Amino acid sequence: MKNYDTLLNDLAPKKFGKLGVIWTCSLLVIIIIGIIAYIDQLIKGQVVTNMRDYALWGIYISNFVFFVATSFVGSVTVAVLRLTNNNWRTPIVRIAEIISLAAIVMAGITIMIDMARPDRLLNLFIHARLQSPITWDVIIIPTSIAISFLLLYFPLLPDLAILKKHFKNESPFLSKWYGILSLNWTGSKVQKAIQTKSIQIIALMTIPIGLILQTIDAWLFSTTYRIGWDSTNMGAYFISGAFVAGVGALVTVIYVIRRVYKLENYITEFHFDKLGKFLVLACLTYLYFNINEYLIPVFTAKKGELIHLDELFTGHYSMLFWVVIIGGLIIPSIVLMFKKFRKPLPMFIIGLAVVVGSWWKRYLIVTPTLLHPFMPIQGVPESWHHYFPSIHEWLITLATLAMALLIITILVRYLPIIPIQRTADKQELLKNDKNTKS
Amino acid sequence: MKNKQTSSRRKFLDKGFKLGLATVVGGIGLSKLASKLNAQTDKDSGEKMELMTTDGTIIQVDSSEVVEMDHHTKEDHLNHNVREGIPNRKFIMVIDLAKCKNALKCQVACNKHHYITGDNAWLKVYKMQESQDTAPYWMPTTCMHCDKPACVTVCPVDATFKRKDGLVLIDNERCIGCRFCMAACPYATRVFNWSEPNQGEITLAMDMGEEIHATPGHAGLPSIKGTVDKCDFCPHAIQDGELPHCVTACPNGVFYFGDKYEDTVTNGDETLRLSKLLKDKSGYRLMEGLGTDPSVYYLPPVDRLVNFEDGLEHYTEFQSVEKPE
Amino acid sequence: MKNKLNIRHFFLVLLSVLCITSSFAQKTKKSKVRLKAQYVKVMDGDIYFDIKASSKVKKKNIKVSNIEITIYNEFDDEKVKIGKTVTNMKGESRFVLKNRNAIKADSTNIYTISFSFKGNDTFKKAKKSISFKDASIEAKLITKGSINYITATLIDKSTGNPISDEPLDVQVKRLFRPLKIGEEFNNTDKNGTILVLIEEGIPGVDGNLTFEVVLNDNDDFGTVKAIVKAPVGIPIVDESTFDQRTMWSPRNKTPLFLLIFPNLLIFGIWGLIIYLIVNLFKITKS
Repeated sequence: MKNYDTLLNDLAPKKFGKLGVIWTCSLLVIIIIGIIAYIDQLIKGQVVTNMRDYALWGIYISNFVFFVATSFVGSVTVAVLRLTNNNWRTPIVRIAEIISLAAIVMAGITIMIDMARPDRLLNLFIHARLQSPITWDVIIIPTSIAISFLLLYFPLLPDLAILKKHFKNESPFLSKWYGILSLNWTGSKVQKAIQTKSIQIIALMTIPIGLILQTIDAWLFSTTYRIGWDSTNMGAYFISGAFVAGVGALVTVIYVIRRVYKLENYITEFHFDKLGKFLVLACLTYLYFNINEYLIPVFTAKKGELIHLDELFTGHYSMLFWVVIIGGLIIPSIVLMFKKFRKPLPMFIIGLAVVVGSWWKRYLIVTPTLLHPFMPIQGVPESWHHYFPSIHEWLITLATLAMALLIITILVRYLPIIPIQRTADKQELLKNDKNTKS
Repeated sequence: MKNKQTSSRRKFLDKGFKLGLATVVGGIGLSKLASKLNAQTDKDSGEKMELMTTDGTIIQVDSSEVVEMDHHTKEDHLNHNVREGIPNRKFIMVIDLAKCKNALKCQVACNKHHYITGDNAWLKVYKMQESQDTAPYWMPTTCMHCDKPACVTVCPVDATFKRKDGLVLIDNERCIGCRFCMAACPYATRVFNWSEPNQGEITLAMDMGEEIHATPGHAGLPSIKGTVDKCDFCPHAIQDGELPHCVTACPNGVFYFGDKYEDTVTNGDETLRLSKLLKDKSGYRLMEGLGTDPSVYYLPPVDRLVNFEDGLEHYTEFQSVEKPE
Repeated sequence: MKNKLNIRHFFLVLLSVLCITSSFAQKTKKSKVRLKAQYVKVMDGDIYFDIKASSKVKKKNIKVSNIEITIYNEFDDEKVKIGKTVTNMKGESRFVLKNRNAIKADSTNIYTISFSFKGNDTFKKAKKSISFKDASIEAKLITKGSINYITATLIDKSTGNPISDEPLDVQVKRLFRPLKIGEEFNNTDKNGTILVLIEEGIPGVDGNLTFEVVLNDNDDFGTVKAIVKAPVGIPIVDESTFDQRTMWSPRNKTPLFLLIFPNLLIFGIWGLIIYLIVNLFKITKS
């Protein structure tokens, strides 16, 4: 029992310290500024961005793709590791689920920011054409939100019941809400049976849905004629990219939470070691697809493709391209192969590099292709030959990233970051195991 | 005595005449001066209106000078469904590159009749040269109104559609501004209204409370913020048996327009059989290999009647819509 | 002395008249209107006059719209008003004669029609008159062997004699401009007749073609048009994919594969999601 109490104290949600309050307030400020910028965009029109008729999609879309990619972490960590019986995943699953939910919700919001007529949102449902890849997106994103939510909620039920008891004296208000949300969980056989079966179904569903989500996102680009987008590689390329972005985000967030909530005993160096290996696998897979996407076309080098690749390798985007590929992909892959780097702090830095690299990689997917269309760019102002996001676009994009972090922050504040019941069960098993052995 | 009298009478008449002439001329001069000074107030009804010009400056205009426009395009008097099109027709255009010398009259007419005031025209005349050793030429492009339109395929809300008579049109009241159609179009022919379009007389009329509803049958009347626009092959004209504005405006007879089912195209002066024209002059379509099946045919720039260099004086690389001073 | 005085007076008068008239002219600022009128007679059909009003204002040619034109028939010192019409937005108007007998020719069998505009605040009055004789074209389709021809005869109605050596245009009616067939100039022979070959493979709705034999804007006879309808064309074939299920059709014609497969997936997945939500309720209840 003593062990259980320690467990509970360690894992139960705690109030924000000073750092937490400052963090949350800064996020709120960024979000509010972003909302003001968005209202300005609604009033004046998207002319406040730097998108014009040639660079017709910009960082709103690359940000959207980034969010969709990051939301893959739920499928990967929870489902894949579960179905392959990797039991070390227990302490990190909840964080993964939270990141996944936050990312997919923000993906839905971000895409609406790119719509120039959000007042006609309902047209996407009333007049939807199944032939359009955007309609497929409109179908799969709410589906993913539902699944991500259920993936978080079902395993949460026992923990909510525990927390109801834990906070009964300390904070009756919180206790009441935990009680309501725990749906009268008592741990009875019937409930456990339903829960186990449900989780099994969700875990099975989340993999194909995750894969479909990434593929449809890729098809937004590969269903056009454009050079750099019209690639048969796109679906698999985006799936592996999501794998990288998701695990990178997971590593980064875990490190911060572990530090702040002092969970060193639960998320140990062993976990980082495993995650490190997982990330190497992701990066190598993504590297393989990048080679297929960028190196092989050089062989036949059709004129348009040659221009596109030149722009990336040696031209206007070369600096960004090489920083992202080398700093965000190649160096992490190499470095993480050494055990020395699969420790918490190095992994945090590498994770951060991977996430930032992922974000800019998607900018490199969207913008260069749009700026060399088939027809020469003539008859438009000189500024239309280039694209760099405007202040409005940056403010709004930062606000969406802040909102994602805010969702994660709030969920981490009120939910047990590490599953209490499951950890307790595992420790019981270990204890029993030891007892029987000794 | 008599002579003296006569001479003094003459002198009197003479002086009188001169005085009279002076008075008349002076009077006319004064009245002209006065009328010029009063010219403004004479015509004024006294009421002034505050309006915005196409470049965004606010001006004060007398309300008597603001004339109501004649919008004869109303969907009610159409004898066909605007989404289905004119029956038994398949509209195509033939552009003779051998005759084009970048006069840009087509672009000016198109901009005028569709009230295009943005930075990107719908009809662009490209300066083309495939490779260093091949000849440069001027190539006007409109929307290709493809038979396998990529733009229509990707539209999530059915805002752009392909009609039975071949035209691809846009319903600006339904468009959600996602710009996927623009990403899909390989001919870069679609433009976007990034801000509230300021269309001169149309905006003036709407500000005065006149109801102008956007209809796919006359694109640009009005343009709507946050939606896509493009060449529409002028359904408002062709349904009345008139040629599109670019065709009539071209002084060199570059544009031919007609019904493929009738196998006849005309540029206003010459009327020819389409099949014979394409066969004799080896017509082709732009980016045929993409499989979009465009409705615009090009006649190659051979046996040219004009010099390419003559068009360079009108070439504006960074502008395609004339702005008011 | 006398002469000098007269000359001086004369110049003064001239000068003053010029001054006055020029200033008056400037004060009213009225523009000159140019009227154009074309007489068209359609055999077994209408007779009409196509009127165009234009003006040069500030060095630009503009169409004069919304002005009233009165039409008179002048013959043998009489001037009979036969109607009036107003020009449309394009400065054009078509005045159709209700009755062929409404106009009378003069003693030389020439019809004279005049068009006048009274003038208004912006434009000066204008008048245009045209004269013509009555001619007719009899046209029909004939088939020699398996080849189709159009034959037509041009006759001067006032004398009853055929008119020779006048060019007739033979054309197929098309949407925007008619398509000419035959030679560039089909001149009538001594019998006032022409014979024109109809080329193969001209398409028409259900194979029907409308041929027009036209005497175009002749100095003596105006424009005379005869219409022959004949099913000698090839029927047009509808090539559009509008009625098919394609990737670019509207939503009511979605390809079946897209209609069936994704919907099955969606219903399957959401069915499971609903089942899971129901499970949540079950947990609450138990």
